[in-house]
Amino acid sequence: MRDQAGESTDCGCSGDCADSGESLARREFLRGATTVVLGGLSLSYLSVAAADINSDGQSQDGTDGSAAQETGSPVTESPAGNPPEGDILFGFLVDTGTCIGTGKCLSACRTENDVPEGNSRTWVERYVHFKDGRLQVDLVPETGYAGSGLPLIDPDEVDRSYFVPKLCNHCEDAPCTQVCPVHASFTSPEGVELVDPNRCIGCAYCVQACPYGARFINPETSSADKCTWCYHRIMRGEKPACVEACPVDARVFGRLDDPRSEINKRLAKVPASVLKEHLGTHPKLHYLGLSGDVT
Amino acid sequence: MNWKQLFLRDGRHLRILACALIALGVVTYLVQGQMIPETFGDLGPYRAAALEELKSRPSVLQSDATCLKCHDHVGEERAESPHKSVGCLHCHGIGRKHVEIARRAEKSEEIEIPAVEEWDGNPLTKVDLYVAHNKQACLSCHGAVVGMPEAFRKIVVADHLEEVGALDDLDEETIKSKGVCLECHGNHDPAP
Repeated sequence: MRDQAGESTDCGCSGDCADSGESLARREFLRGATTVVLGGLSLSYLSVAAADINSDGQSQDGTDGSAAQETGSPVTESPAGNPPEGDILFGFLVDTGTCIGTGKCLSACRTENDVPEGNSRTWVERYVHFKDGRLQVDLVPETGYAGSGLPLIDPDEVDRSYFVPKLCNHCEDAPCTQVCPVHASFTSPEGVELVDPNRCIGCAYCVQACPYGARFINPETSSADKCTWCYHRIMRGEKPACVEACPVDARVFGRLDDPRSEINKRLAKVPASVLKEHLGTHPKLHYLGLSGDVT
Repeated sequence: MNWKQLFLRDGRHLRILACALIALGVVTYLVQGQMIPETFGDLGPYRAAALEELKSRPSVLQSDATCLKCHDHVGEERAESPHKSVGCLHCHGIGRKHVEIARRAEKSEEIEIPAVEEWDGNPLTKVDLYVAHNKQACLSCHGAVVGMPEAFRKIVVADHLEEVGALDDLDEETIKSKGVCLECHGNHDPAP
C-alpha cells in the first residue's frame, strides 16, 4: 500500500513513466552501493598487501638467519666461484661427440641432490646402430658399463654408436609449468625451471606434460622432482654437479647472456640443435653433433 | 524519484543486499589471506621464497677450484695434460669432510688436517677423501665400451702392455697389481 502511494505521489503520470524513473533510480543506487562495496574491498586488499610486505620482511630475516646457522660455514664462507650478477640467462650444452658414457655425471647428480634410487634427474642413453639395420637404445648404468654385468656388444657387429646425455631442457615455453594447477612449477628469474616442493600437491600433471620425460614424483617428498641445474650451486658461482663430474667436458653450463662464456663460444663454432624442436618449447638445453635418430 | 524516496520504499531489501555484498567481500578477503602464501607474486606467479629455500641447500660435490686453492701444484701439472678436464673427485672422492676440516684448520692452529691414509677411503661414502692408486680408476673411463667416440683412448691392459713393449720390463706380479698403470704413467699428468 505504501509503495503504491509513493508511486502515485512521486509522479502523477502513467505507469510506464513511473517504472522507468524508478528503475533509473534503482540502477543509480546499485551503482552507488557497488562503488562503496568495491572501494571498501580494495582498501582491505591494500591493507592485506601492506601486512604481507611487513611479514615478508620479518620472515625473510628469519629464514636468512636460520639458513646460515643450519648450513654452517662451508656455504657462506668460500664458494668456489663468484655468485653471478646482473640479468642472468643460464643455458646448457651437451656435446654428444665427446661423451664416453662412464656414468660419472649420474652418480654425481644422485649424490649432490639426494635423488632416491629408482628415479633420475639426468640419464645417458646409448644408441647402437647394428650393421644389420637394428637400432638398440639402452641406458648407461651409473657405475659405467665395466662391471655392470650387462651383456657385451660385439664391436664388429656395430655400424655406429654414441651416447646421448639427457636432462631437463629448461624450456622457455615449458609445458610442465603451464599445466601446474597450483603454480608450484615456475621459471626462476635466471631461466631455470624449478619446483616449489612446499606448494606441489603431487598431481603429476607436469610429469605427463613434459615431452622429454624429465620429471618424476619423488617418493620421499611426494612432490614433483626434476633437474634444477643444481640451482643451489650455480647461484654460488659453482658448476652443476654433472658438469663438475664430466671428465671429458661433454656437458657445458654457462650464461647465454654473456658473449664471452664458454657455452657461447662452443655454440658459435658448430651448428647446435635441440630435442623435439617441432614442439615449440624452445629448450635452453642445446646439443652438438646430435644424430637425427635421437628423439 | 530521489534517493530518499527509494530508501523509504525499498530500504529493507537494499540494506540486505548491501550487507550480503559486504559479507561476501569479508569472506573473500579472509579466505584469500589463508590461501595465498606469503611472497607469492613478488617475482612472478610463484612463491618467491622458494628460490631462497632451494638456494640454501649446501653443495656436496667440491669444485676443483676449491681443491686447487690449496693444492695449486696439481693444477699446474694438469693444465697442459690430456687430463686437464678430469676433476679431482674422480680419483679422490668428493672430500667434503676434508674441505670442512681444512677450512677450520685455516683459522685455528690446533686443528690438524688428517693425512690421506687416515681417511675412510671408501669411494662409496663419497664424502671422504681417498687416493685411487688403482687401475680401476683409470679403466672406469679408458676401459673400452661400445659407444665411445673413435678418438677417445681405449685401453685393454694386456694389449696395451704388449703394444708399448712393456711386458718384458715388468714382472708378472706388477702386471697383475692394482697400480700397474702408475708404473709408467704419472697421475696428474698421465704422460708416460
